[in-house]
Amino acid sequence: MDLVTVNGLSKRYGGIVALSEAAFGARAGEVHALLGENGAGKSTFIQILSGAVQHDGGTILVDGQDYRPANPDAAQARGIAAVFQELSLIPDLSVEQNIWFRHEPRTWLGIVNRAEMRRKTLALLEKYDFPALRPEQELRRLTLAERQIVEIAKGLAKDPRILILDEATSALPAREAEWLLKLTRQLAAEGRLVIFISHRMAEVRAIADRLTIFRNGSTVAAHEAAAVSDDEIVTQMIGRHLDRLYPERVPTMTDRVALKVANLASGSRLSGVDFSLREGEVLGVGGLQGHGQRELFQALFGATKASGAIELWGRPAAIGNPRQALTGKDGIALVPEDRRGQGLLLTKSVRENLTLSVIKRFTENGLLSRQKEAALVKEMVDFLRIKAGTPEQLAGTLSGGNQQKVIFGKMLLTQARVLLLYDPTRGVDVGTKGEIFQLMRDLAAKGYAILFHSSDMPELVHVADRVLVMRNGRIAATLEGDHISEEEILRAAMLETRAA
Amino acid sequence: MSAFLARNRLIVLAYAGMVVLLLVTAMFSPGFLSVSNMRSTVVLAAFVGIVALGQTFVIIGGGIDLSVPWVLNSAAIVMALLCGGQDLPLVWVMPLLLAGGAFIGLVNGVGVAQFGVPPIIMTLATNVILQGLILVLTGGSPTPSAPALIQFLSVGRIGGFPVIALIWLALTLIATLLLSKAAFGRHLYALGTSATVAEFSGVPTARTTILTYIVSGLTAAFAGMLLTGYSGQAYLGMGDAYLFTSIAAVAIGGASILGGSGHYLGTVAGAMVLTILTGLLPALNLSSGALLVVYGAVILITVSIGSETFAGLGGRLRGRRA
Repeated sequence: MDLVTVNGLSKRYGGIVALSEAAFGARAGEVHALLGENGAGKSTFIQILSGAVQHDGGTILVDGQDYRPANPDAAQARGIAAVFQELSLIPDLSVEQNIWFRHEPRTWLGIVNRAEMRRKTLALLEKYDFPALRPEQELRRLTLAERQIVEIAKGLAKDPRILILDEATSALPAREAEWLLKLTRQLAAEGRLVIFISHRMAEVRAIADRLTIFRNGSTVAAHEAAAVSDDEIVTQMIGRHLDRLYPERVPTMTDRVALKVANLASGSRLSGVDFSLREGEVLGVGGLQGHGQRELFQALFGATKASGAIELWGRPAAIGNPRQALTGKDGIALVPEDRRGQGLLLTKSVRENLTLSVIKRFTENGLLSRQKEAALVKEMVDFLRIKAGTPEQLAGTLSGGNQQKVIFGKMLLTQARVLLLYDPTRGVDVGTKGEIFQLMRDLAAKGYAILFHSSDMPELVHVADRVLVMRNGRIAATLEGDHISEEEILRAAMLETRAA
Repeated sequence: MSAFLARNRLIVLAYAGMVVLLLVTAMFSPGFLSVSNMRSTVVLAAFVGIVALGQTFVIIGGGIDLSVPWVLNSAAIVMALLCGGQDLPLVWVMPLLLAGGAFIGLVNGVGVAQFGVPPIIMTLATNVILQGLILVLTGGSPTPSAPALIQFLSVGRIGGFPVIALIWLALTLIATLLLSKAAFGRHLYALGTSATVAEFSGVPTARTTILTYIVSGLTAAFAGMLLTGYSGQAYLGMGDAYLFTSIAAVAIGGASILGGSGHYLGTVAGAMVLTILTGLLPALNLSSGALLVVYGAVILITVSIGSETFAGLGGRLRGRRA
């Protein structure tokens, strides 16, 4: 018998139907993947399961009994825990305090039993073979990836029968993502149900027993994973046949050097970096996570202090802060790693976000011109096909892919022609991913120069003209032409360099 | 129109509250709506409103300015001392003291933006330092009376309108232009919503922060001089009431105390509400202690309305992501 059975599930927000007639069934002891583009209804579905929101119609049965949790605590009482993309952790608490937050082991006096908490933390970390986490470490010192791992530990600390993982691998470097996939198999083998959302087909292929596909706010199909092809899945996800995710790579590189970096160093994470980025080129930056990619992008954008020489279009550039980086047609723009924390004002409109960096372009005699601003907004909404009801819609209410498009639009309006893209497709649906790759190639053809980091290695292999591989804050190798492959990137990232 | 209402719901609410409060007060205290009484209410509200102008800018930008009481008080006392009851010295004393207020703001702003001192600590410290300096300067002795010109600015009338109301109107227009029609306003709202996003978008965050504190120093010093004209002289402690009222006016006016939202037009209604309340409470035979209690209650109610709106928004944000 199925552990969870869902029939006719629906949820509305005002006039917007987020979910209708969704059906779902999953057994204990399986890994069940949810697939669908952003906005397809997956997140609403798991929010209902985890008690974060309540459904309007339909039924959910867990163990054959009606299930309608009023809040996440009620869901946990029924053995259901969720690990969401937006992290719920408290920066000022330690790793273990976060893991056991509100469920701390207590002494008979009601005081938190620290020794017991430490013991249980270490037991948990060991049982599931967690990658290096120190229980006493303050959370604010951890990277995004490490925080994601803490979030997973927090979910497991509740010993759930059903664990929901919402794109848990998207923030993880390759090795940790690998661990997580193994972990889901282990949890399933223990008789738990793991509900797993990922935009990476390879992961779904590696671990899922069954999968359910969402489209336009409903479920369209459920399959045994072994009995369905990638093509069928993608076709069902987008409702049409997607020819190619990656655009054709026509070389558009010229001899003109757009960005020249010499001996760039920053803190202990970046040293002696030299490279040139040419007009019309998409230059990939790869390597294992945490080897200086983030510092490289932030240093070039002026977001962290760095030493070394930077030339833009043949002229020395002093970039002390992002404002200087973004100034003028010879500027340098960044689509940052953290969409919600660095890229977007979530509570402000699409319009205000798009034009935030270019207020000068529609200021006349010190006053803003709403007509000129509207023209700039329209230009970008049309060019990038941003799907928003009106430009006044709040950016935080857009789907992930559209949020990313707004950030692209903000940066393209600055007219800077050197673009730094840090993992621009993270957490973005398949359809928008394809659009972003096509956009990159189109911009390169127009004479933009693009530095492109991705945590998803096939993206580098299929989109970039050349790939810089970083190791220990240095460039370990530059791959070109036929040498660009996942194997070569990994080899350069992990092994000692042969003489170049 | 409905879009305007949706975006400015809290400001519209503040004005609605103001009207309701006016009617209630008129019920308890017949004659409250008379021309002369409304005139004196607007004059009193103008002092709160002018101090709260700078406070509005600082709070929208994500900070808070606790130094307004003694910036105001210092300007009042130094002006009275330097002028000695004469009008002529005002020609250089007013610009000097406005510059002084701006300088205190600059110190606050640089401390917050460049050295990362939390706004509460930074502005509390300048407040205490100014208080100490003024005590040393005056030795606690009374100051000469206010020059006639400054009295005209605060209690005089032009064509039946209080001069200070006209000044307040002009300042309101300037503040509205800055917030709604100038690059500064866009930068300010972005800064208060997320300093990191603003920085990554090329907003001059340090400069914008410093400017808000400079404006706050300017308006507090200006209000101090006007208030001296209203009272006839400057005295120690005359700014104390304006710490609470300036922040309360901003909060009642619909701004989030965490920054990123609000408008000076809301603060104007907030200043009116607070002043009408002080007119209502004597009519109810409440003590000044009870006045403070009601003040506090009004802030609590207002802020909880604001946070309810915020929670609703949070729900929408979660809901649409799928």
